[in-house]
Amino acid sequence: MKLPAPNALIGGALIGGLAVAAALGALWTPHDPLALDFRAKLGAPGAAHLLGTDEFGRDVLSRLMAGAATSVWISLLTVGFAITAGTALGIFTGYVRGWVDRIVMAFNDALLAFPGILLALGLLAVVGANKYGIIVALGLAYTPSVARIVRGTVLSLREKEFIEASRVMGNSELYTMARHVLPNCVAPLTVLATSMFGWVLLAESALSFLGLGVPPPAPTWGNMLAGSRPFIAQAAWLGIFPGLCISLTLLGINLLGDAVRDKLDPRMRGV
Amino acid sequence: MKRLAFSLCAAVLCTAVPAAAAAETVTVALNADIRSTNPGVNRDDNTDAVILHVVEGLVGYRENGTVAPLLAESVSTAADGLTYTFKLRRGVTFHNGAEMTSADVLWSWNRYMDPKTDWRCRPEFDGRQGLRVTGVAAPDPYTFSMTLEKPSALFLDTLARTDCAMTAVLHRDSVRPDGSWDRPVGTGPFRLGEWRRGEYVTLRRFDAYVSPPGERRDGYVGAKRPLVQEVKFVTIADAATVKAGLLSGALDIADIPDDDIPELSKSRAIEVKTAPTATKHAFLFQTRDPLLGNVKLRQAIAAALDLPQLVGHVSNGLGRPNGSAVYVTSAYHDEAHRRGYTHDPARARALLAEAGYRGETIRLIANKRSSVPSYPAAVVAQAMLQAAGIRAEIEVLEWATQLDRYTKGNFQMMSFTYSARLDPAQSYNQFFGPKDRFPSKVWDNPKAQELIEKASLVADEAERRAIFGELHRLMLADAPLVFLYNAVDTTAVARRVRGYAPWVASKPRLWEVSVGD
Amino acid sequence: MLRFALTRIAMALPTLFIVAVSVFVLIRLIPGDPAALMLGDLADPASLADLRRRLGLDHSLPVQFAIWFGNVLAGDLGLSITSGQPVLPLIVGRFWVSAQIVLVAVLFASLVAVPAGMVAAWRQNSLADIALVGAATLLLSVPTFWLGLLLLLFFGLELEWLPVVGYVSIAEDATRGLLYLVMPVMTLFLHEIGVVMRMARASTLEVLRLDYITHARAKGLPEAAVLWRHAFKNAFGPTWTLIGLVLGNLLGGIAVVETVFTIPGLGRLLVDSIFARDYPVIQGCLLFVAFTYVVVNLIVDLFYPVFDPRVTAE
Repeated sequence: MKLPAPNALIGGALIGGLAVAAALGALWTPHDPLALDFRAKLGAPGAAHLLGTDEFGRDVLSRLMAGAATSVWISLLTVGFAITAGTALGIFTGYVRGWVDRIVMAFNDALLAFPGILLALGLLAVVGANKYGIIVALGLAYTPSVARIVRGTVLSLREKEFIEASRVMGNSELYTMARHVLPNCVAPLTVLATSMFGWVLLAESALSFLGLGVPPPAPTWGNMLAGSRPFIAQAAWLGIFPGLCISLTLLGINLLGDAVRDKLDPRMRGV
Repeated sequence: MKRLAFSLCAAVLCTAVPAAAAAETVTVALNADIRSTNPGVNRDDNTDAVILHVVEGLVGYRENGTVAPLLAESVSTAADGLTYTFKLRRGVTFHNGAEMTSADVLWSWNRYMDPKTDWRCRPEFDGRQGLRVTGVAAPDPYTFSMTLEKPSALFLDTLARTDCAMTAVLHRDSVRPDGSWDRPVGTGPFRLGEWRRGEYVTLRRFDAYVSPPGERRDGYVGAKRPLVQEVKFVTIADAATVKAGLLSGALDIADIPDDDIPELSKSRAIEVKTAPTATKHAFLFQTRDPLLGNVKLRQAIAAALDLPQLVGHVSNGLGRPNGSAVYVTSAYHDEAHRRGYTHDPARARALLAEAGYRGETIRLIANKRSSVPSYPAAVVAQAMLQAAGIRAEIEVLEWATQLDRYTKGNFQMMSFTYSARLDPAQSYNQFFGPKDRFPSKVWDNPKAQELIEKASLVADEAERRAIFGELHRLMLADAPLVFLYNAVDTTAVARRVRGYAPWVASKPRLWEVSVGD
Repeated sequence: MLRFALTRIAMALPTLFIVAVSVFVLIRLIPGDPAALMLGDLADPASLADLRRRLGLDHSLPVQFAIWFGNVLAGDLGLSITSGQPVLPLIVGRFWVSAQIVLVAVLFASLVAVPAGMVAAWRQNSLADIALVGAATLLLSVPTFWLGLLLLLFFGLELEWLPVVGYVSIAEDATRGLLYLVMPVMTLFLHEIGVVMRMARASTLEVLRLDYITHARAKGLPEAAVLWRHAFKNAFGPTWTLIGLVLGNLLGGIAVVETVFTIPGLGRLLVDSIFARDYPVIQGCLLFVAFTYVVVNLIVDLFYPVFDPRVTAE
């Protein structure tokens, strides 16, 4: 039995820890993450509050734990949305080609050229400024990149011998795509999906900073990070801890993503 | 390495040289660029603040919020209360050297009342808001008179309003031959220097300025000598950058969020000055909402809020709770206005039961602009409401979106800030009115309507005082909104700057300000 | 080459048209009204209607679009609602400010990150790889508004090396202008290192797995020659494409950096215009950004054959 690669080990440990924290945070936190305590404003990390308190006297650790679940959930759904929609669109256009492809890709490129801020603001206004609004807005913003990459892969594959062979053997188009095209998209998609996961965690933060209000009243790491900025000199822990959470999560996801890709990439089999 | 050393050396030189040249320049931070140089037309608060250094009106606000002559020497009212006669000060010159006479006042007035000018305050004077100027005349070079349709207690106050740009008197060189706006040629203590859009606007001292009489600065009147050579208003959107700019000495004067006070007070080069203003923070209710239409529920919410604690927290201990539309330092803020809602959880619970409240969620709209406590107030209120058994959810909107919801009356509850109005009647008018015609108004009550109309007509102070007291009582009973407190203007001022003080109108004034070492 | 470029531009025209339409629709879906913002909290319905009429906002949306688009085709992007300035010169002026920051930052970031990414890939799963990936991830996950502020506090306040507030254009005063650009460029540079390095690493990994690398190694070529002659050239292609994408995206995303460092650039202009609902400027900015995006990616594609011999420009 071979030991798993170090990237799988470290990545797995980080993501495992995150999952435990998120699960625990949903059930129990040391303090109520929303309870205000005016006497404990901007308290430094200490015995009563392990990671300090924020400008409303709320316990940072409890908020990080409660925020883990929200943040991860938002990121997962957003990435899931973008990957599903983008893959479907990419495979479809890459396969049918012709004028349908042209039109869809023109829309796709238009969306790519759109600054994310405006897209998010517009869609948040339409969908409603809540968790699901963010998921739809960011999901839509990331869909075109996915579509582009998948379409590229499909285009390069469709002339390959094994695809041709599958067709000659009388397999349906749908089967060919699922069996032979999709697996070849996994490697590039893993890289993209792991990056995207991080972008989502941060995008929310950047939108908050610009005042474009991404508003869950419940804590998320992104809005905690953005909200900490005015206190950077007085209470650095307010930003450092959510920042660290985001960093470590990203690191874990990236390492794990690499490991997963190595396992799934057909070219890597047997190496 | 050599190049690096050179550029560092250049850095030192560069920061040293402008510092010497800047001794006579006072740098002030603005959170957004001005919109135009056209007084009272394309404007916002920052635009008014800058432009009112350049132009002046016949009358202006004093420190205590009352109105006094500025370009006028005296103002007299005819016995019927309809005709106002302004005697102009002699020897006042425009920035182009021309003497100001009643012909200029007349020209300026006619320009403002021309629909093509788009003066923001034209509706205030053409009868649309009740007040109508029927005639103006310039019988001699130093006399100007205006006649009203009906007597009004608000006429002079409206002329002095900062958002009307004080109904400033302009020289006709301010516009191009085709009538389009060029640049302000006014009578103010400073001339417009250079405006780099998105970066800064500078004002230069007007050396021929003749200060109005007075020993001391008094609002927009009194002593107004320009003492520094140049004032530079720099646009900085990010409050953290403003703080760094103050600490580094790159900025001399800036409004700062209350949260920054403790940190900036520690710096030896900076002094934090505060002044109560007439800006009002409030929670608005939509009284036409199926849920909040119930006055019992609104009163329950009011009783659930611990206002002293809320205000203490969001203002960092600077603000005083004020449940009245009349600002806390106003001459009209008497005993009657000290009454407000008191925190009473038992009463809140009883009222909720009477209202038949069954845990429905109330959506509370707020925004995250750093210049107003909209968001922190909402967060604290949410926790207090929750403690009283009321479910509230905060919806954070970007400001323009919130304003749109406000204008359309499309909200349940909103954490909102009303800009400063110094006269109590003007202040009530901001939120009172027929909801059918003005969806943004939160309070609509026939009895109050009568009282406000009366307050706009009556000039006698004692009588007005009684009216406002009665209005406040009515408002507390109806609970269309909960006033929290009047904003406190917190300004950080570099110690090298002498004589600067924030004041009730919440606008910087750079006259009578000098630079020491 | 020229025909390729022209075809690409022709192909981009529908994209630009879609951008124009969707921008127009999207910003009008966003609640908020430039006229209401101009009048503030005491707007009465009559003055509001007056102002809307003067701004041409009283027409129906299709009519407004037709008027605007007709003018765009004639090369006129209209006047800003807030400042009354013509939109095109406004955008072009702001664009250069942003472009110099973005270009320098991305150039330096690529110089550092591409080799680093390749080394990481070459020694995949080694300690060096994990350290590099860790560093890149850390850089990626520090938001620019934090990083920028940290730099500002350190270099501006602590060391007093660099000016904290303001902006001087290089055209006016080269030395001082450069000083004002150091921190914004550094902020973006540090952030982009993370982005570019990850992509360089991923694409090098792909290439290293291909048969011809194994072949080259089997032939007994020295590792350096394998890396340089075979891997680098092929791996740089996708990275180069990404750099193009990053450049395009940055123009939209640079607003944060410009806000922190009070730089009058295009990103800040866009955000301010969104806040003020300055429709002509938003529309102009987005068309301009979309156009730049198309051009940048075209240039990237034209250079692609230089880096990837397998691809020709046709």
